[in-house]
Amino acid sequence: MTTFWILQTLNTLQYAALLFLIAAGLSVSFGLMGFVNLAHGALYMLGAFIGVTLSVQAGFWAALFLAPVTVGAIGLILYLGLLGRVARLGPMPQVLVSFGLVFIATEIVRILWGDVPLSIDIPSALRGRLDMLSVSYPLYRLFVIAIGAVVSLLLWLGVNRTGLGAALRASVENRTMARAIGIDTDRLFLWVFTLGAALAGLGGVVAAPITSASAGMAVSALVPALIVTVIGGMGSISGTAAGALVVAAIEVFGAAIWPAASSVLIYAALAAALIWRPQGLFKGAVSH
Amino acid sequence: MDRRESSQYHRVEDCTKDPLMNRYCIACLLAAVALPAAADTKVGLLLPASGNYAALGQDIEDGFRMAIAESGRSDIEIVEADTEADPQTGLTMARKLVMQDEADVLVGVVSSAVLGAVRNFVHQSQVPLIVANAGNSDATGKDCSAYITRVSFSNDQLNRPMGEWMAAQGISSVYTLAPDYAAGQQMIGAFSAAFEAAGGDIVGGEFTPFGKTEDFGPYLAKAQASGAEALYVFYGGADAISFVRQYDSFGLAEEMPLYSVGFLTAPLYLREQGKAATGVIGALHYLPSLESPENDTFVAAYQAEHPDTLPSEYVVAGYDAGRLLLGALEEGVEGREALANALPNVSYTGPRGPLKIDPATNNIVQNVYVFETVEGDEGMTHKLLDTVEAVQDAPNGCAMP
Amino acid sequence: MFRLNPLRLATFVLLVISLALYAGFGGFFAREIVAEIAILAVLAIALDVAAGFGGMVSLAHGAIMGVGAYVYALAGQNGMTPWPAAASGIAAAGLTGALIGVVTGRTQGVYFIMATLAFGQMIWALTFSADWLGGDNGLGGIMRPSLPFSDLTDPLSFALYAIAVIVIVFGLATLFLRSALGRTFEAVHENPQRAASLGLSLIRVRTIGFAASSALAGFAGVLAAQHMQFISPAMMVWTASGEVLVVLILGGIGTLVGPALGATVFVTLKYWSAGWTDHWHLIIGAVLIAVVLAGGHGIYGQFERWYRHAFG
Repeated sequence: MTTFWILQTLNTLQYAALLFLIAAGLSVSFGLMGFVNLAHGALYMLGAFIGVTLSVQAGFWAALFLAPVTVGAIGLILYLGLLGRVARLGPMPQVLVSFGLVFIATEIVRILWGDVPLSIDIPSALRGRLDMLSVSYPLYRLFVIAIGAVVSLLLWLGVNRTGLGAALRASVENRTMARAIGIDTDRLFLWVFTLGAALAGLGGVVAAPITSASAGMAVSALVPALIVTVIGGMGSISGTAAGALVVAAIEVFGAAIWPAASSVLIYAALAAALIWRPQGLFKGAVSH
Repeated sequence: MDRRESSQYHRVEDCTKDPLMNRYCIACLLAAVALPAAADTKVGLLLPASGNYAALGQDIEDGFRMAIAESGRSDIEIVEADTEADPQTGLTMARKLVMQDEADVLVGVVSSAVLGAVRNFVHQSQVPLIVANAGNSDATGKDCSAYITRVSFSNDQLNRPMGEWMAAQGISSVYTLAPDYAAGQQMIGAFSAAFEAAGGDIVGGEFTPFGKTEDFGPYLAKAQASGAEALYVFYGGADAISFVRQYDSFGLAEEMPLYSVGFLTAPLYLREQGKAATGVIGALHYLPSLESPENDTFVAAYQAEHPDTLPSEYVVAGYDAGRLLLGALEEGVEGREALANALPNVSYTGPRGPLKIDPATNNIVQNVYVFETVEGDEGMTHKLLDTVEAVQDAPNGCAMP
Repeated sequence: MFRLNPLRLATFVLLVISLALYAGFGGFFAREIVAEIAILAVLAIALDVAAGFGGMVSLAHGAIMGVGAYVYALAGQNGMTPWPAAASGIAAAGLTGALIGVVTGRTQGVYFIMATLAFGQMIWALTFSADWLGGDNGLGGIMRPSLPFSDLTDPLSFALYAIAVIVIVFGLATLFLRSALGRTFEAVHENPQRAASLGLSLIRVRTIGFAASSALAGFAGVLAAQHMQFISPAMMVWTASGEVLVVLILGGIGTLVGPALGATVFVTLKYWSAGWTDHWHLIIGAVLIAVVLAGGHGIYGQFERWYRHAFG
């Protein structure tokens, strides 16, 4: 039976890694700008589809690198052309615009890639399984866990050990004050948003060999990412990582122990967390 | 898909409603007057063009248009309506087709939820509906109607033979997985009943949250821990691709062979599944690799329009819906009531083999093919293992008038 | 306080008359469209009460509406006549709203949105998996009510009846917002510190306001069940609530007229663009973005600003 629980723990880590990649950008753009970007799931979807095309043309490893760069560029253009302006308008216009973008992105994907879901082949170096701790676990899933761990470590170091990170933390804490001491918050937001988009794109291309790419992803990825963000506390990297672990654990162990309730479990947990701690479970630095 | 392809009469309908288009209308009407006076048959295609099932809707439409084009008849008009796989929209569109466009017959319905939504309306307004996909067993069981004829399959019809067949192969214990919604429950229910009746043992199973489970890892681990001899599943769409690949990556094939309702490794998904699908055994009512003159002609005709693509079971269902309608029309019937009466009498041998309609339920009677997914010379293909002939559902509470 | 100024009243009356004329002369499908507009308009007006005046942006209103629809259907199955069944549906929706309001009362802003998302999705998931409610196959054979002077099985009569429901719900929303209770509800949103210092219980006021909005959503649920004579969990999923929120913002939040206008524009746009392309979501997405770039106050909000600027 221990085999079973080790397997489920690995599944939890693997799912948490994906959730972290999707939610990191959402969390930081919310913490920084108060901007709930409902189109964030669409960036994840684009990452998956662009990854599919790139992996056919240039192989998995090129796709792994180029898809996030492309999605980051799309995020940058979107921010400069549209979202940057909308971010200042308040929550209602944000909802309208980001919903509009979800509609548009989904249809563009349908037009370019069709209605049949697509997938990416796992590269030969990551095929097969690794035998350890008495279990045999797919190598690719271990690779996903590693990516999640490396990215969260890098982000944590970036936020907590660099000058740019200090400026970021100051801006999340108090935007006006940060501006007063000479931090160019607008510019900071632009790069943070771009990075968040690239991370969502990375999430998409990493997920595609496991979950396949479909036009429904833009919406289906959004809810778990929002839940991670809310539970983790907005604008905090360690909070997002903790939130991702909590949500993944509820999903995976819920499915293992109490499957009948697994469709409501995550929502019940969210509701309970919000009632217990109305400002989020791991309350990070929240500007208001 | 191009909506402008719809026939001339459709345009007449549209533009007479709009006074601004009057000039165009006069031109249309003149053209219409020039056609033979015999009453045309108007077909309302009730299919999803957007949403989750858009690919299936497209295949069914392609098949249906293929059959009509093959017949060379010019007195059949097609009007389309997008159901979006949403029951409410499906019902709105069925009402539009019947009451505004005055369709003589409806064809389509991909999702069982949409079929449930339109069932009462179709029955009460006495318009024949040819179901080209939705497999809800109740639609030709306790909720059957003289106006609803099904040329696709019923959930019972595909799963029951598989339960019996697996037991006959000497498999004694099975673990089941399917999405948690009505069709998933019906499929697994029919399989389990047949398998247990034949002496097998269902050691466990899980219904995974519908539309949300993208990672099957946790469930595959449970299946593995159950110690069952085989795994039996039903998944479609993006889930079918993900499930097969994840099953393969966990290396379960060595200890727990995968059996399924054949949709899992159907032509639509096989290309994306690739080698991961090797060895998966399923049962389905059509395979593009079937060897018969009828199927050879059909596949060749389909590939003339769609190079390098094999026709899916959805294309065949659309095609057979067209053939069924044509068969009824050849009897010289006209109008809704006469069509409804004539449809169940049609029988012929098509791409999927001999088929007829069971007058007791209006469900199709057809062969079910047990196959193994194998690597062929040109990518993945299906190897026929066994044919269960003329599979017919019990009436299950259906009482025709 | 909500002001039913002459401009708003005139716009609303004009809208209602246009819908009635369209239903009268537009043929069969126009009547179906008008009924669909009415259902969406009622739901959007209900959401406007909570979101536009109380700041309680909800992603549970689709689910709450669904509770109204299912209770109406179940009451009918158990022998109740249509009008008492409709009252039960509305009451059940109001009660659901009260329960959600009372447990989420302390949460604010995006946390409140997420809490309503959680409760809405729980209601959806439970309905989806409940065999006795028909699961995802839904429930059919739902009755339509009867009126002494018209036959509601006739599409035109039903469309006019649906328009009458918009007028009733618009009137009820106005009455609520102008009542002492409604004014307190708004005051609590606009200045919570001051309201608290006056000794008002924040949670109680917010709960009552949310329940009132939910009961109005119940009207939409009952109307939807009567219109389709079939219901399924599809109306309860969170994206359906999101769509109503979009309709509300599109029309102009906090105006009560805006949501009705937004519903009309949204449904018309949907059928018009679906008539010539399968990718009609693309058109709707572009329109949503265009509305924001034009000023972000929604169609009616923008019109009111422009009117004031020109004539006020």
